[in-house]
Amino acid sequence: MNGARSSLLRSTPFRLALTFAFLFLLAFILSGAIVYQLMSAELTKRLDQSIKETHSLIAATYAESDEEDLVATVRDHAQFSQDSDQIFSLTDHNGNRLAGDFTAAGLPVGFSMFTATLPGVPPGTEYRAYSGMVGNNKLTVAFSLSETEALETIALMSFGWATLFITGLAVAGGAVLASRVQRRLDAIAATMVDVSHGRLGARIPLIGNGDDIDGVSGQVNAALDRLSALVDGMREVSANIAHDLKTPLNRLQMILESAADKTAAGKDVSGELADARTESLQINETFDALLRIAQIEAGARKARFVDVDVGHIVETIGEVYADVAEDDGKSLSTGLVPDTKWYVHGDRDLLMQMLSNLVENALRHCPPGTAIELNVTGNADRVAVHVRDDGPGIPAEESEKVFRRLYRLDSSRTTPGSGLGLSLVKAVADLHGATIELEERNPGLGVTVSFPAARSQGG
Amino acid sequence: MRLLLIEDDPRTADYIVRGLAEAGHVCDLLRDGHDGLFAATRNAYDVIVADRMLPGLDGLSMIKAVRAAGVRTPAIFLTSIGGVDDRVEGLEAGGDDYLVKPFAFSELLARINALGRRPAAQEQKTSLRVADLEMDLIQRRVTRQGQAIDLQPREFSLLEVLMRGEGRVITRTMLLERVWDFHFDPKTSVVETHISRLRTKVDKPFEIPLIHTVRNTGYSLHAPI
Repeated sequence: MNGARSSLLRSTPFRLALTFAFLFLLAFILSGAIVYQLMSAELTKRLDQSIKETHSLIAATYAESDEEDLVATVRDHAQFSQDSDQIFSLTDHNGNRLAGDFTAAGLPVGFSMFTATLPGVPPGTEYRAYSGMVGNNKLTVAFSLSETEALETIALMSFGWATLFITGLAVAGGAVLASRVQRRLDAIAATMVDVSHGRLGARIPLIGNGDDIDGVSGQVNAALDRLSALVDGMREVSANIAHDLKTPLNRLQMILESAADKTAAGKDVSGELADARTESLQINETFDALLRIAQIEAGARKARFVDVDVGHIVETIGEVYADVAEDDGKSLSTGLVPDTKWYVHGDRDLLMQMLSNLVENALRHCPPGTAIELNVTGNADRVAVHVRDDGPGIPAEESEKVFRRLYRLDSSRTTPGSGLGLSLVKAVADLHGATIELEERNPGLGVTVSFPAARSQGG
Repeated sequence: MRLLLIEDDPRTADYIVRGLAEAGHVCDLLRDGHDGLFAATRNAYDVIVADRMLPGLDGLSMIKAVRAAGVRTPAIFLTSIGGVDDRVEGLEAGGDDYLVKPFAFSELLARINALGRRPAAQEQKTSLRVADLEMDLIQRRVTRQGQAIDLQPREFSLLEVLMRGEGRVITRTMLLERVWDFHFDPKTSVVETHISRLRTKVDKPFEIPLIHTVRNTGYSLHAPI
């Protein structure tokens, strides 16, 4: 865990934060560059305007074609702007300077750029110039670019600092946020490591803010709940299988040993052989039942489902077991409404076996004199099969467990049965999407298996 | 009868072949699905007994191929899966019966006998007769020594299955399948109860019993030997 925490760069949240910061920075720089370009263009435009205005102002003095006035105005302007921010030049058509700070004979008419070397001006200072003819003379007005450049530099500098600041904030903030998320991911990872080491009780701590990590954690916890319930079930089943199969296997071994002894003594072993046969049959039956339940739970049979009349199945089972119950000192009756069909989508064989298991369960666990009743009720949505008896019932706290594989009430440990009958009932019910309800009838037990009704319902 | 057994497990095969020989049947044993297919289509057998899990060609595909070749020899599947779908799959593939391993040999023998002696042409019988017991299949009436016996519909079916298999052993499982359509093993004495009821009506009022219990296996209906 420490290794994972120390290497911040490997953490997904931090990587995400970094990627996001990088993308944000890229966008920031791009927009900055555009702003800079726009600003720079605007500044140049304004400078050009000022130059042109000054040029027009000076040129206006020549309106009366008085060259002396023009020369004087240029000289005044040149003198007025001492700091060489603005320089002027007036040349005649031969290129001789008439007035101004410099000679601009070589500059073309219109806007141009040049680098002036003038006394008192740092070498390499750039100027923006506008030349235009005033009468026969060429008037050039040039403004230094140093102010514009200074503004641009300030813009660039502030932009650079902002970039640095944002980068720092993004990385630091990303690291903080990432480490918070990372702590929660670490908690999940730690829980999963616990689980993989067999501590199935471990659960991911939830913050309760309802975010996605909490959501996922909640689902993982729910899955772990189910897993541990399954494992508990499996453990119980394994223990029960071990017990229920070990006992007949032990008996089988004893029978065979006694048969071997008898054979050595030359005695007849046909009794032992018959016993061994019975025991091995019992073991096989238990295994068969387990396999059958597993196959039903696997659900392969669903492909063969058809609409089955449960009423007819109940009738058949009632008919088959009525005599069996009578011979056993019990009674079995069906309360079916004649000529009513109750269709469910299912497998006839499995439904027969399910109902037969329920009836046999009642027969086996109820004392003589018990009345068992079968019935079917339903409406447009559900079809419910009821098996009711007035026997001893099941203690309420046990009713949840009786459908577990190989579960047997303590009171029925000594009666025959594999403890798989009701598990099979549950497996068949689950396969059909049916629910099972146990009802304490005082006295007696009512089992209701409620199926979704098939579409072809009708009288 | 001449039988074809396709089974790859040597112990099971040995157990079956020995039992069949003792019962007076001739049995060809093959261990591979392809060989089985070849033999079943080349030679005339009375019954084919095929394991589901075979090397080469599995039992299901083998019987399908045998049927596709137009051979109608009755076939029994042996399956060790104890599967809920095996019976349906087996019957759909063209099998006539199926048996889940481990099985009692008497069960297999009873089923082979039932299949092998099935009349070639399914002639429509209108009545059955064993000794002084008569069954009218049209009017669904049973008489013995001329006296009418009143039977429940299910008892009638039970007696019919026993009479059709006159002299042969009908196992408990066969009765459950044929009379009640139960394809599982009930834990209570369903068969015993109904046989006992039937005996009360068919045998008890008369001197000679016709329904005989075959220990550990099932029942057989026949005239006294």
